[in-house]
Amino acid sequence: MSPPSLADSNELRRGEPLPSLADSNELRRGELLPSLDGSNELRRGKLLSASGLAKSYGGAHALAGVDFTLDAGEIHALVGENGAGKSTLIKILGGAVVPDGGEVTFLERPLPSGDPRTVRERGIATVHQEFTLVKDLSVADNIFLGRELARPFLRRGEMNAGVQRILDTLGVEVPPSARVGDLSVAGQQMVEIARALAIDAKVLILDEPSATLSGLEVERLFTVLRQLRLRGLGIIYISHRLEEIFDLADRVTVLRDGRTVSTGAAAGLTRAQLIRSMVGRDVSEEFPARHPQPGAVVLEVDHLSAPPRFSDVSFSVRQGEIVGLAGLVGAGRTSTALAIAGALHASGAVRLNGRPVRFRSPAEAIEHGIAYVTEDRKGRGIFPVMGTGENITIAYLRAYARAGLLRPPAERAAAAAKAREFDVRAARLSQPASTLSGGNQQKMLLARYLLKRRDLVILDEPTRGVDVGARAEIYGLMNRLTAEGLAILMISSELPEVLGMADRIVVLREGRTMGELARAAATPERVMGLATRT
Amino acid sequence: MRLRHALSNYAIFVALVAECVVLAVATDAFFTVDNLSNVLRQNAFTAILAAGMTFVILTAGIDLSVGSVVGLTGVVASDVLVHGYGTPAALAAGLLVGLLVGTINGITVTRLRIPAFIVTLAMMLVARGAAYKYTDARTISGLPPSFGVLSSSLSTAVIMAGVFVVAWILLMRTPFGRHVYATGGNRDAAWLSGVRVDRVEFSVYAISGIAAGLAGVLVASRLNAGYPRAGEFYELDAIAAVVVGGTSLFGGRGSLWGTLAGAFFIGVLNNGLNLFRVSSYDQLIVKGAVLLIAASLDRWRR
Repeated sequence: MSPPSLADSNELRRGEPLPSLADSNELRRGELLPSLDGSNELRRGKLLSASGLAKSYGGAHALAGVDFTLDAGEIHALVGENGAGKSTLIKILGGAVVPDGGEVTFLERPLPSGDPRTVRERGIATVHQEFTLVKDLSVADNIFLGRELARPFLRRGEMNAGVQRILDTLGVEVPPSARVGDLSVAGQQMVEIARALAIDAKVLILDEPSATLSGLEVERLFTVLRQLRLRGLGIIYISHRLEEIFDLADRVTVLRDGRTVSTGAAAGLTRAQLIRSMVGRDVSEEFPARHPQPGAVVLEVDHLSAPPRFSDVSFSVRQGEIVGLAGLVGAGRTSTALAIAGALHASGAVRLNGRPVRFRSPAEAIEHGIAYVTEDRKGRGIFPVMGTGENITIAYLRAYARAGLLRPPAERAAAAAKAREFDVRAARLSQPASTLSGGNQQKMLLARYLLKRRDLVILDEPTRGVDVGARAEIYGLMNRLTAEGLAILMISSELPEVLGMADRIVVLREGRTMGELARAAATPERVMGLATRT
Repeated sequence: MRLRHALSNYAIFVALVAECVVLAVATDAFFTVDNLSNVLRQNAFTAILAAGMTFVILTAGIDLSVGSVVGLTGVVASDVLVHGYGTPAALAAGLLVGLLVGTINGITVTRLRIPAFIVTLAMMLVARGAAYKYTDARTISGLPPSFGVLSSSLSTAVIMAGVFVVAWILLMRTPFGRHVYATGGNRDAAWLSGVRVDRVEFSVYAISGIAAGLAGVLVASRLNAGYPRAGEFYELDAIAAVVVGGTSLFGGRGSLWGTLAGAFFIGVLNNGLNLFRVSSYDQLIVKGAVLLIAASLDRWRR
């Protein structure tokens, strides 16, 4: 399947009205707006304005006062570290998440929150990283999904013609009857954009649209976006690739810790300024002082590769040391960890205490003293209906069996002792794991994987979704365990955590090792510099 | 919250006792030695199948082949008997064939990654076909009278009790049993915790196969014949017993005692409806309704 061609789209007819499917559509919303053609005041005007947005999930603030505006005919870049609140913000703007506080006005009317369908029909369309297309349906069927033209039978010809007009203006050479699953990622993205245009969207939100595209495809996307800007659409563009922002955006808003740090024209900004406002905060006292005394090398990873997730990753971890694996979401950190822990097949060499090992399953890795504690606590960590005690002992049950039979008292005693040591606060050992708080679940998982003496433990986002108190306890635990000689490989998307806890930092970008920083040499700017494309 | 939990955990036991009390009061025929031993002998097969099925369903799987396995192992065991071998040989043959079928199910589910529903549906057809082929669709009769002893009230009770005790020990007192719950409760988490989830899944189908083999021999003993159609729809009775007994079809939650109570709740219900001379058509409707109520109780619990 050939990628969409946008070759002559620059020639495209400025100011010419976008073909709208509204004419042929029962769901016409003409009364809301003058259509995009020729209405100059709209093109200049304010489309969307949010103020004081706040949202917290179980005590953790995702947003704590965000202001944001979007004008017609601008591309507005939204940047920030992982966890800064970007996705929460766009979910609120798309109607999928109801804010705890603040308000959103769209075309001078309040935006209905918690109603993504209505928001979309009013003209705010979001293209997520994970496309919401039905792969087995055609391009036209996808674009008209839920709004099919029928009286009462499908009018395929009309739908195809309407879709063809939109695809033509986008300069996309894809037949409306093509099966979406057969298109390239870039082609599917264009279908998503076409779908937004089909409902006459005024605002287009793109969540890291370039993450999965090649350089050439990114260029084509940009051409389309610039063309849509000319037509008066307001575009919110999220990306970790800073150079794209300078290339494309009119304005940039920086979020940090759920707040708007700055908003301003992209023109005057420098890369260094942008990075500083993204990460600029003190790595404060919330982290305990570390006095690492690294011993022998426990883990050596040598040219480990599992394309396309990561390739040629090399580093080592010593006894008593915390090595931080930093990088953006999608940089291949978790995949690397899974490969080390036997949960993902990879080529290259892994040496444990000097001996080459190749684990075919997590079970083998655990037997050899390596455990991986997942970032996805709910999905791949806890056994929700099992008791806390059973959750703790599951990985080493054989230690509490004699002649194949479990000895419940021995098992209970071990679970109780570990729960106490790791301060897992459950009312009783039989309390179902799903009813524990995030922090206690996390401590329970640590107790599970550290029930027996380990050489190395891999902690993937050890404090994600964990409240401040439990966070400090987990850091304290990590400190104590390394003092006892444990080697820890920590994956974290939170820069302060990496800088505050890691003795060495290995930075991955797009599946490759970009560099290694000693604690003393690590600054937020240097880590982010390595983690983002230059 | 806790009341709700207790209610749903013990609901089936309360329901079974209530059912028995009502029938004992309302009819003269129910609470008699003859009738009760009849209920036991009629439903022990279902209970044994359901014990094996409990392992499978706890891993969020399903085994639709057990009814056909009852038919197949019944004719194989009968054939062994008419060739002059004794009851132990017949029993061994039945268990072996059951284990073989379960092994094939287990390998197919874990190696080819085909959904258990499809795998065991296919096996349901294959095993039934094999039973017909084995006997040329005829009944194998002329089994020695001593074989019938296997399905006497006493023997049935002992065998069934033995099955449940062994199954309980396996499920509640071995690492394997815990791994069954873990695999059904969160397969990914189990795998990352070092549980060999493939082995666990394989084993539960083997266990279900053995249980079906045992049930098949008992059915043949009770019929005193190898009847290739024996066990038709038994898989549905077994699944109903497990679900009525409170085990979640989504895996990870449930108990053997619930299954036992579930099997006899349905059995006693049938018996009661018979005693009240409810037509067999209406009985089907009542059974269906009970199954729905049990399933909605499971939803309500979440």
